[in-house]
Amino acid sequence: MGRTSYLGEFEELILTMVLYLDNEAYGNTVVNAIKEHQKREVNLSSVHITLYRLEEKGYLESYMGGATKERGGRKKRYFKITNAGKVLLQEMKDARTNLWKLTPQLQFQHVS
Amino acid sequence: MALPSIPKRFFQWYCHPSLQESILGDLEEQFEADLSQFGLQKARQRFLWNVLRFFRKGIIKPADSRKYNNFSMIKNYYKVSMRNILRNKTFSLLNVLGLSVGIASCILILIYVHNELSYDKYNTQYNRTFRVLHYFGKNAAALAQEDKVPVSEFQVWGNAPVADALLDYFPQIEHITRFTSESSWLVEYKGQRFQENNIPFADSSIYQVFDWDWIAGNPQTALSRPNTIILSKSLAYKLFGSEDPIGKTIILDGEDPFEVTAIYEIPANSHFSFPGFISMSTFINRRPQIFESWGYVDFYTYFTINENADISQLSAEISKFCEKYTPEMPWYAFRFEPLAGAYLNSEAERQPGPTGNKNNILLFISVAIFILVIAGINFMNLSTARSVERAKEVAIRKTIGSRRKALIFQFLIEAILLTSIAAALAGLMIGIGHGYLEVLVGKTLPMQWLTSPSNILIGFLSVVALGLITGSYPAFVISRFKPIKVLKGSFKNSSEGVWLRKSLVILQFTLSVVLLVGTTIVYKQLSYLKSYDKGFDANQVLVVDYGWDPYVQRSLGYIKSELLKHHAVEGISASRATPGEFFPNAGTGIEGPDGEMVYHDPALYEIDEDFIPTYDMEIIAGRNYSREHPADSAISMILNEAAARLYGYVNPEEAVGKSFDQWGREGKVIGIVKDFNYLSLHQRVEPMALRYSTSTTTSRLSLKLNSDNYSQTLGELEALWNKLVPNYPFVAYFNDSNFNKQYESDERFGNVFTIFSSLAMFVACLGLFGLTIYSTNQRAKEIGVRKVLGASISSIVKLLSYDFIKLFVLSLLASIPISTFIMDKWLENFAFRTSFDWWVFLLAATITLIVSLITMSFRTVRAALSNPAHILKDE
Repeated sequence: MGRTSYLGEFEELILTMVLYLDNEAYGNTVVNAIKEHQKREVNLSSVHITLYRLEEKGYLESYMGGATKERGGRKKRYFKITNAGKVLLQEMKDARTNLWKLTPQLQFQHVS
Repeated sequence: MALPSIPKRFFQWYCHPSLQESILGDLEEQFEADLSQFGLQKARQRFLWNVLRFFRKGIIKPADSRKYNNFSMIKNYYKVSMRNILRNKTFSLLNVLGLSVGIASCILILIYVHNELSYDKYNTQYNRTFRVLHYFGKNAAALAQEDKVPVSEFQVWGNAPVADALLDYFPQIEHITRFTSESSWLVEYKGQRFQENNIPFADSSIYQVFDWDWIAGNPQTALSRPNTIILSKSLAYKLFGSEDPIGKTIILDGEDPFEVTAIYEIPANSHFSFPGFISMSTFINRRPQIFESWGYVDFYTYFTINENADISQLSAEISKFCEKYTPEMPWYAFRFEPLAGAYLNSEAERQPGPTGNKNNILLFISVAIFILVIAGINFMNLSTARSVERAKEVAIRKTIGSRRKALIFQFLIEAILLTSIAAALAGLMIGIGHGYLEVLVGKTLPMQWLTSPSNILIGFLSVVALGLITGSYPAFVISRFKPIKVLKGSFKNSSEGVWLRKSLVILQFTLSVVLLVGTTIVYKQLSYLKSYDKGFDANQVLVVDYGWDPYVQRSLGYIKSELLKHHAVEGISASRATPGEFFPNAGTGIEGPDGEMVYHDPALYEIDEDFIPTYDMEIIAGRNYSREHPADSAISMILNEAAARLYGYVNPEEAVGKSFDQWGREGKVIGIVKDFNYLSLHQRVEPMALRYSTSTTTSRLSLKLNSDNYSQTLGELEALWNKLVPNYPFVAYFNDSNFNKQYESDERFGNVFTIFSSLAMFVACLGLFGLTIYSTNQRAKEIGVRKVLGASISSIVKLLSYDFIKLFVLSLLASIPISTFIMDKWLENFAFRTSFDWWVFLLAATITLIVSLITMSFRTVRAALSNPAHILKDE
């Protein structure tokens, strides 16, 4: 089984986050979620760029909505994972699990 | 809270419209979050950072190609400009050459000036470092307190105990350090002996005040023990070669072993520099009483204050300090001077090293500006001259529909292109000229600072600005041509703008004459200094320096008589110092006209009875020391005229026979010697006491020679010396060459000044040449008609040069006040000045005129020789 497109580590992270955030995924929530769950500071611009790229690749789709006061009345661009995106994530997860099954049990060498 | 507007506007400008709303929303949301979490300032910073981070591919809107269709037009401007530059090669060459020489000279001068201004800035505590200036004189404390004593009467050289007292009294002082004046030592290592003249003693704290490069050894402990010495890199190399010098022992003056504890290098832009320092504790062990004496002068004191302290607070307390420490010394006072002014701005006497000259720097800066102005004018004139030839191109462009703005643009692009080429060429010239300049000024001139990013940006912008300024005039004039007139063939350049061109030429030649007058004055002053009657004759006086060697001192009488046996030696004298060299001052009391003892601190020479005849000095009253008066060594004193005046005698002769009291010797003044310039002629003759030396206070022999073959005589004398004094090398030099070393920096200055003046002249001539092209082109037809009617070649050349002569006379008139003003300022450096004669102007004017006429003749003669048929057939 071969895949036609691959995702980078950061792309995969963003895609997963969008999936996780369900209907609440837009730039800031993604940044905050990554900070919260991955203990990792990412820049807003990188998140945006990646979101757009994933949209272009067809794994995400976006829609405008949800203007609030603290945004100066500006709408958010919400992202939702597409079926293609879900399939890709599933494939990547499976592929990894299969690989892990093939490896000997993970043991840390005792360093004397 | 609104978003910061500048980054926001920037974002809106570059962001793709379809992404703008959501991203800006996100940004604002984050900004608000940051605001409540970190506060306004941090939030703003983060917002700006985010905006900058968004400036990347994928976010930026694509360039709207419809907006930039000017691009191909700009490409065309470039192409046409290049073609124009290449078509007229000689012209472009003249133009670029003049400008690049101008730029290169300007930047080379800048490199020099930058180096002069960079002195001592290598010290990290530069702004917090100060030194003590001392004043010894009547009512010192009271006068200095009221600022009645000018800084020039203070001296950097002072006593020892002030340092400890200052550190004790002022908590603001962090570190304080002293070093003595240099003395000469016979340095010996493994049987090799060298005389080193300039090694002082220094406190162990010297590393705390000055940030030298410590190459080896520990600076913190290097000078703490007695009998330790630190060496400069070059001296260490001279003594030890490739050996590791740390811990090695060298012998000083043939007896004392000294341990080498550190190797240092003082940066070249330091206002003093010595090849080695001996630990102060050595000196303290030898003569502890000096370190208690407020009247013994031999120390330079530097200190740093802590960051929050203000030197004016310290200065305000000096009088209280003096009340506490020196209540019984009303003749002593001191003040502080910042390190920042030590090299260029210090008027104090007795500097520890050569000082710079602020006036010379100002002069150099004016030369740099002059050259740049001349080069710029030159460029404008040449471009304008060319405009006549380009009138047709402009007319056709205009007819086709080119707007004036586009034409202006075209010419500006061309000017910027030319200046860029000139700048590149200038870069090359700087690379070549830098080495020569270093040789000329005798210093290393770092130029790395030129290539810092900000300076490169400034340089780049300056080139563009220079292009815009110099290109603007031709651009506006040429683009104004009326196409109908030009194309009809009846084109004649309008007379408007002529006055501007003429005044530019006047300015150019005024500056050239000013520079030439300056050069002449500098040389006149230098030759004046050298031929000035100094009041003594050092010609053919050979000085043998034996560095206080005790063996020589003991057998002085024998050595003198043996050397005198040599046929070339006419006279011989032993003394402490010879004219042009270092000497101490001595507190001296002389009975004043009213019978009271008066105390001052005149300079001191210690001489024997042969000194005055050997140097051919004149005794104007009384007598010289004499062997017929054996008591002279104990009870007699000779003064110079200035000293007699200092002690209140209007007629110096009257001081003869008065009592004196100096350094434990009392007696009568027996003679007055005519003032002689023992210092450089930058200074006046200061009061001096010529004390009779004991043999232990001599370090030099002066030999008056009379020989036809000096190299042979010197060889014979050296052989004789080595036989007489096997333990000390023969170190000899001619007094006059040594004395003239004081003018070395003046001479260097003169050479540099001449070179840059000639370059300025050269550039001005290029401009004149361009203008001649311009005027002969304009008058080509007139010349043709005149020739047809029978005018001679010489009359035509005369006609063409006449215009220039008128301008030239105006330039000359304008240059007189300017050059007088500038050179008067420069001459203020010297106590003895040459006169400002009218022939200086005449000389400068004649040179300028001749050079200009020759330059012009290249073109005028050609115009006059041209065949009128070729010119007139145009119609």
